[in-house]
Amino acid sequence: MTMTNLHSFHYQQEIDGIRSRFQFDFVSLALVQPAEDRFVLTWQYVSGNRNDRYKRIVLHSGKGVAGIVFKTGKAMLIQNVSADIEAKDLFNYPIIVSEQLRSLGALPLWEGSRVIGVLLVGFRKENELDEASFARFQNSLGASLGAFQIREVSQP
Amino acid sequence: MNALSGERLGELMNKLYRNSMEAMIFIDQEGKVIDMNPAAEQIIDPRVIEQIRTGADPSFCQTCEGYTDEQELISCARCYLDYPQGEFSSFQVFLKTRDGGVVPFAASYHTIDEARGGRVLMLLDLTKQQKTQEMLQRNHMLKYVIKAQEDERKRISRELHDSVAQELLSSLVDLRVIKYMDVGEDVLKKLQHTEQSLTRLLDDIRHLSVELRPSSLDDLGLEAAFRSHFKWLEKNYGLLVKFSAELAAARYGSELETVVYRVCQEALLNALKYSGVDEVYVRLCEENGHLLLTVRNEGVGFDMVIDEAKGTGLGLYGMRERAELVGGQFMLRSALGEGTTVQLSIPLSRAEQQEVG
Repeated sequence: MTMTNLHSFHYQQEIDGIRSRFQFDFVSLALVQPAEDRFVLTWQYVSGNRNDRYKRIVLHSGKGVAGIVFKTGKAMLIQNVSADIEAKDLFNYPIIVSEQLRSLGALPLWEGSRVIGVLLVGFRKENELDEASFARFQNSLGASLGAFQIREVSQP
Repeated sequence: MNALSGERLGELMNKLYRNSMEAMIFIDQEGKVIDMNPAAEQIIDPRVIEQIRTGADPSFCQTCEGYTDEQELISCARCYLDYPQGEFSSFQVFLKTRDGGVVPFAASYHTIDEARGGRVLMLLDLTKQQKTQEMLQRNHMLKYVIKAQEDERKRISRELHDSVAQELLSSLVDLRVIKYMDVGEDVLKKLQHTEQSLTRLLDDIRHLSVELRPSSLDDLGLEAAFRSHFKWLEKNYGLLVKFSAELAAARYGSELETVVYRVCQEALLNALKYSGVDEVYVRLCEENGHLLLTVRNEGVGFDMVIDEAKGTGLGLYGMRERAELVGGQFMLRSALGEGTTVQLSIPLSRAEQQEVG
């Protein structure tokens, strides 16, 4: 099960490492919680955060950055928050608001045929992350993160 | 009362003609204007009056747009000017006025000089009365629409909660039972996944039901509904609501509670979208026979003169409208860098105040 793997892998160290290796301002990892927490998705590990607002948020499938990636199983890139998200809709992406991210990407983390986590990386400056650099990041990250596979939805 | 002498009557009639608020226009058999009184001159475009006075075009049609009949609001069919069989003792006519607009008037048109076919058209400005009527109708309509919307939301919310969520829950229970039956590892794993999805789906449906209209608002009252809504805001958006309730679980009329709930909801949504802070203070209390709701944040605020409506402005409009529905007052205070305060004050009827005790 997911939980047992979690303890054998130091995710906090891992995302701290990712942040310094790629010079991200912010990295976070959302994971599906065990049965006693009704399998909700929450941000479990963060690096470079400005406050603890993320701790209060329960993510919903299909809503917000993590919710959309979780539901679709596809990576998501928001190169420039101000251009890609209308100001009046921004409140639907609380992690972007509370961490003041301006440019970010998110990847689904797989366990078998299920998405069970989301990895988010971002900058507080616009256009820092674009398609090319996001692809480079994915490549150098490799095909797995701890117990999870990193891949696109269509791949086996 | 003695009948007036001819001279005195003539004098009074003359004064009536000169000083009356009612516009009087004398028209001959051919529909040409013979004369009009000062009140009529106040209404009609001076250029038209000039045309009439000089005799260039004395027809009344230059200023008349038509009248209201059974078929249309503005119609020229069977024009009152040349349809003597028609009954035109009281009707509505539309005239082009000197300010440019087309304005409705209450009119009466009848023959006063049988021998020479002289007639008089008398006009009374209807705009003010019509505005009053429109407002009245709009308020009734709005009340009706809001009630219909709430009722429909309540219905769907109940349906989701009582039937859809219940069904899903019993399926989930069945699924958990299967887990303890003799099944292979693969099946067990698949079952666990399905259980996860269904559990999340059940939560989503419950949230949706509460979002539409919290049943706690009907069953337990404002305070309980507020608390669960604030919890939801915290979990969804990380917004912290500092709530101070001083009502001791009092209940009010359903309409009133709905207004307070919806106004608070909208105010919090605005705070979430625009204030730039993640803490909001909500106070609900009773003071001097009024129910008072205050929603305050210490965020960026905005300049009330320049950009009253960041976003669509519909939210503010809606809050004001809802407040007026229950005779309440809606106040908004904000300044750049000084946060925003929304206050709703609703007078309580005596009956409602007694319910508190």
